Amino acid sequence: GKVPPSSILASAPSDRNLAVWRESGCRTTHCNLEVLQESTLVFLATKPHVLPGVLQEIRPAVGPHHIVVSMAAGVTLQTLQRLLPAGTKVLRLMPNLPCVVQAGAMVFSRGSGAGDEEAALLKSLLSSCGLCEEVPESYINIHTGLSGSGVAYVYLFAEALAEGAVKMGMPGGLASRIAAQTLMGAAKMMLETGEHPAKLRGDVCTPGGTTIHALHQLEKGALRATVMNAVEAATNRARDMAKD
Amino acid sequence: MSVGFIGAGQLAFALARGFTAAGVLAAHKITASSPDTELPTVSGLRKMGVNFTVSNKDTVKSSDVLFLAVKPPIIPFILEEVGPDIEPRHIVVSCAAGVTISSIEKKLSTFCPTPKVIRCMTNTPVIVREGATVYATGTHADVEDGKLLEQLMASVGFCTEVEEDLIDAVTGLSGSGPAYAFTALDALADGGVKMGLPRRLAVRLGAQALLGAAKMLLESEQHPGQLKDNVCSPGGATIHALHFLESGGFRSLLINAVEASCIRTRELQHLADQEKISPAAIKKTLLDKVKLESPSLSVASASKVSLFTNKSHSS
Repeated sequence: GKVPPSSILASAPSDRNLAVWRESGCRTTHCNLEVLQESTLVFLATKPHVLPGVLQEIRPAVGPHHIVVSMAAGVTLQTLQRLLPAGTKVLRLMPNLPCVVQAGAMVFSRGSGAGDEEAALLKSLLSSCGLCEEVPESYINIHTGLSGSGVAYVYLFAEALAEGAVKMGMPGGLASRIAAQTLMGAAKMMLETGEHPAKLRGDVCTPGGTTIHALHQLEKGALRATVMNAVEAATNRARDMAKD
Repeated sequence: MSVGFIGAGQLAFALARGFTAAGVLAAHKITASSPDTELPTVSGLRKMGVNFTVSNKDTVKSSDVLFLAVKPPIIPFILEEVGPDIEPRHIVVSCAAGVTISSIEKKLSTFCPTPKVIRCMTNTPVIVREGATVYATGTHADVEDGKLLEQLMASVGFCTEVEEDLIDAVTGLSGSGPAYAFTALDALADGGVKMGLPRRLAVRLGAQALLGAAKMLLESEQHPGQLKDNVCSPGGATIHALHFLESGGFRSLLINAVEASCIRTRELQHLADQEKISPAAIKKTLLDKVKLESPSLSVASASKVSLFTNKSHSS
């Protein structure tokens, strides 16, 4: 409820995706330049390979009052600033999928033209979608590996949990819902108590009980190392892609 | 108060050294006995000023607190031998892994109606007064008896009372624990040497690192996971190293080790309760001595001897 839909203008070359926007009450157009003319805060939400072309197109219409926020993976602030007028207020944002349910994890970095005011505005606006933190640009690829892709790791884990339950005799639908709730509940406890996850883990482990037996299985499978490998692989891939 | 050790091996030596260094007991108030005078620890005990004898009976007579510091299979023979000399004042403390209080009480009850028995599990670092000890009191041991033992053992490290059924787990963790640490230290030193450090320095630094970490943990309210995080700067050396440890299943190996030691302790206890052991497993001198002093216990040399009964059976 931070911004009324009528204040949002979205543009796309075709109508394919625009209907959804109109349904929410937003205005739409096929003209990118119109977005620059009508808006102060402009989000660049195209696929990375399309972006340079779009920047060329809108460059003449970009002025000192504009705040340009790019969400294109792998497109650096240096590139963005090179393709836009000197001194433009540019910021780079990396969200993740659960933003759609207001439980996102987002990081952003500011370019040389953007100041505290712009950063504060963006943070305040995006906090309505979840956790939003300003970071040095070098963290953005890491965020991709941790949380951008990380969401997929969680889905995989949830699927496996449910499968285990099915094996032990529970119907799949129920198992899936309980798996999701378990993950959400555990995450909520971490966020709300601020306690170290190792301590929270210990709190659940009664001596000789079910949990410690299960954890031993996870340790035997070197789950921790595997997860670390996953974050590393995704981060490295993000770094490689940014060079292309 | 005087303390006696049946057995003059590593454990007796470590405890005697610890007690005297702590000043809770003067060496001349300690007696240790063993049929084997060639043990290297015997001369160590003598040098300390501990009274050494080959007669277990003498040890019993001159002690109030009597430690059974022999290997588990020897315990029944010892109990048989010294049983008649146990008096109401004695507190019998068994340090033998896997030997239950009830088995000791059962054996002693043929000689003494209400023997005070305490079962204890300690570890070798008592020698440097950093031992980890737990104890469980038997049927006839009072609270004061427990507290007396606790005072003694607290002088050589950490000591706390537990329920007897936890003692096997303690064996797996802190009983065997120093061995895990020595293995880790040896390997850490190898790592240091590989990267160019002289061996002595590598050993010294490795040991100090573990000592320091353990001390930090004991003095901190924080979870070890948090303390670990505090050492790991983002993208730094330590987190790279930890990743290797995790990849190798380091944590799981340690869990496995504690589990294996605990399970083996239970197995040995089970074997002791159920089966027979061959006399060849027992030192000849002890066997002869036992034969001499306890004619009621007859041992056929070719047959196996049952523990915890007064009769011998052939298998």
